[in-house]
Amino acid sequence: MVENFPRISVVMHTRNSQETLERAMESVSWADEIIIVDMASEDATLEIARRFTDRIISIPFYSRVDGVRNRYLEEAASEWILVLDSDEFLSYDAPRELKGLITRLGGKYDAFAMPRYNIIAGQIMKGGAWYPDYQIRLFRKGTVKWIDGTHILPEVVTGPRRLLEIRSPDCPHIHHRNYPSLQEFIRRQVDYALRDTYESDSRHFDFSDYVARAYEALAIRSDRENDGDLSHALSLVMAWDAVIRGLIQWERLSTKPPLGFFAALPIATGRVPWWRISLRRWLWRRHSMWFLIRRLREILRWIAMKAGIRRV
Amino acid sequence: MTKEGITVIVVSKGLEGLLHFCLTALQRALQRLMSGGEVHRVVVVDNASRPPYIQDLYRTLGVKLLRADLPLSFAAANNAAATLYPNDFYLLLNNDVLLTEETLLGMHKLMRDHPQVGLCGSRLIFPDGSIQHCGVLFGPGGIGPYHGFRKKPSDQVSRINREYQAVTGACLLVRRAVWEELGGLDESYPFGLEDIDLCLRARQRGWNVMCHNETESLHLEAMTPGRRALDIPSRKLFMKRWKGHYTLDG
Repeated sequence: MVENFPRISVVMHTRNSQETLERAMESVSWADEIIIVDMASEDATLEIARRFTDRIISIPFYSRVDGVRNRYLEEAASEWILVLDSDEFLSYDAPRELKGLITRLGGKYDAFAMPRYNIIAGQIMKGGAWYPDYQIRLFRKGTVKWIDGTHILPEVVTGPRRLLEIRSPDCPHIHHRNYPSLQEFIRRQVDYALRDTYESDSRHFDFSDYVARAYEALAIRSDRENDGDLSHALSLVMAWDAVIRGLIQWERLSTKPPLGFFAALPIATGRVPWWRISLRRWLWRRHSMWFLIRRLREILRWIAMKAGIRRV
Repeated sequence: MTKEGITVIVVSKGLEGLLHFCLTALQRALQRLMSGGEVHRVVVVDNASRPPYIQDLYRTLGVKLLRADLPLSFAAANNAAATLYPNDFYLLLNNDVLLTEETLLGMHKLMRDHPQVGLCGSRLIFPDGSIQHCGVLFGPGGIGPYHGFRKKPSDQVSRINREYQAVTGACLLVRRAVWEELGGLDESYPFGLEDIDLCLRARQRGWNVMCHNETESLHLEAMTPGRRALDIPSRKLFMKRWKGHYTLDG
């Protein structure tokens, strides 16, 4: 039923994935090649994997999966690569749709971002920030690079014009069983936060930026209309996660700047610093307010010096 | 896979609440069947529901989920499920059919007693007790297939199990031999009438088609939004293929 062209290799990273792996493997059993990159699993992961493929690469445990992804993409023999995680699966009609997509649009694009359904605590998230949750997972070999970290979107080397977002809702999706419960979600958030890498330049540290991020999480992730109270609970965890991350970075800095704990006070008073949120979103990256002001002051001083103006 | 097992295929889009009642009623009907070592299996084809069904909610009912991200035709969905989960019988069941406990037992028995019967339908009623289906009749000219005795009070229609040219796929037990001989449902139908097509093709090969009338199950009929729109192209295709090849029932 499914044509043999284009050829697709699946690359899947596993670590203690026995609960979800079978579903994932079944859903890609049509692929021309399945490569399992296993990080020292201690459960039945490898036994399950062996039923579906003999291309299993065992690697030592590494705390951030995205950091090692690039290395094993090279192993794929096909022109196209599909990256699927072991807690995800594809639908029954995915092979036909994905191959059709490559046949139709593979000449114009190198990478496709697929929408993803996230299943958290037995509920499929429909709200803005959780859906469509585009993931770049189907791409031509050598055109996509991951950045070290956890759950950061990879980069399309050939430029954003070669990337196509497949439109939801009636299109192939990734189905992601994220967390069976809220508690598991909390456990994993802490885990990721502790394992992550943080900038070591203390001049760029600004705790209030993390606080702003917490408010961003609260404002954007809460979606009562679509996801009810679960979205409130998750947004609270994520806001709390932002603050925790700030504290982790602060502790890891060699010279600790003042924490600026007062920036976190609005959490207690309930005032939302909308200007911070909008500034963050507008600048589209992490920023340090005080760093910006300092730079601005330096520039003004430089202009004043050039113009020969003396301060009184 | 052992003797006389049934794979039940429910093609469903949305309507989780209704589906749950459908599956619960189905479980009860299947339990009545469990006498020997048969292995019955329930497969729900999640036909591009938004959002999708969640496997965990159906695991307790022993249900296998088959997810399609883009809507499949009724034929393609059933064929896919039958290929993945082969069994001695296939029961095609709509998500808005609530089986009574004895229905499956009766249908199963009828087919075991009559080996020449390849397909068996069932009497279905509307919530008000009138007939939704107890066999498909064929009218002259452009009328074609229609549900006989539709909207007649069920207790006024004979309860004898009788032979028809076709029965509905809303609740249809098919022998595996028939299914494989015919290659399943014809996937060129957009949605609808592929069931009648299957019955007519089976009869051409010498199989009989019967409707089990001793019990009646509830059928709400065409509950899924947008379902009706696909009827017209399906009907056109059917008439093109079959007009003049069936017997007129009047």
